[in-house]
Amino acid sequence: MHEVSIALSLLEIATGYCKREGYKGIESIKVKIGKASGVLPQALFFAFDAVKAGTIAEKACLTIEEIPISGFCNSCSSNFSVEEAYILFCPRCGDTSFRVETGRELDIYEMEVF
Amino acid sequence: MKIKVVTRIMEANDRIAAENKKFFNEAGVYVINLMSAPGAGKTSLIERTIKEYQGKLRVGVIEGDIAGTEDAQRIGGLGIPVIQINTGGACHLDANMINEAIVGLYLKDLDLLIIENVGNLVCPAEFKVGEDMKVMLLSVTEGDDKPLKYPLMFQESSALVLNKIDLLPYTNVDIGKIKKNSLSLNPTLKIFEVSCKTGEGIGEWAEWLQSLVR
Repeated sequence: MHEVSIALSLLEIATGYCKREGYKGIESIKVKIGKASGVLPQALFFAFDAVKAGTIAEKACLTIEEIPISGFCNSCSSNFSVEEAYILFCPRCGDTSFRVETGRELDIYEMEVF
Repeated sequence: MKIKVVTRIMEANDRIAAENKKFFNEAGVYVINLMSAPGAGKTSLIERTIKEYQGKLRVGVIEGDIAGTEDAQRIGGLGIPVIQINTGGACHLDANMINEAIVGLYLKDLDLLIIENVGNLVCPAEFKVGEDMKVMLLSVTEGDDKPLKYPLMFQESSALVLNKIDLLPYTNVDIGKIKKNSLSLNPTLKIFEVSCKTGEGIGEWAEWLQSLVR
């Protein structure tokens, strides 16, 4: 629902980096979005296309890598990974004493610039 | 040319939130970010809480709404410093809006600042504003399915206030289910049952909050 704010932050970080380092344009931006981050990839694509117009990222193509929720269960000592956007108990043993390690990402990790 | 730029997208917001938090700490004011769906009773809870603290704590309020100043007028009527933020369509408050709003408050004169977020169960949970803790308000009439439908808000909050318990006899809501699922999502969540209409449970909530204020 707030993908426009996210797209604006993304654009600001990317264009700010290029200005500081002296690059003229951005060809592509790769981001990692956790499934539990609350951000919908389709909405982010749409928002990014809208906000990039007229900036040095105008022709930039956005690639989104979705990261599933994964973690470690203290009860059965196993690592797990699920497709859902949240979990209530360990998918192996059903216990609730687990820690979530991935799934909340909202990171830029690579850009192609010129 | 490919370059690695590992940066959190929310970094800009989080940086300003950290700056706000520093202001608040220096001024010695405890800050809560109060979130709920529209109509759950955020402003009513604030009114009740302020009344509990009369003569005990100095409270200030920031009201976040898409439009209008009705909430600020309600709170201002209690003689409390209040700032209204109109987000002009945005579905949440962010750190920058708070950063601009606090210029209008004399923080050193406050012990507790309550930030009433825009009524929405989704986005406010994503944006830090510089608060010491997030508090979620859920009115029981919204249904016992809400923790599993809006998990992030329950996970991010330190306390859950269940409002409108006076209406429980008129609904088929299972309050036990709300509590059980909320605690599965967030085992350390502190849960309070209140009615802003009758005042039931308000004392316990207000006492707990006061114990956290420096």
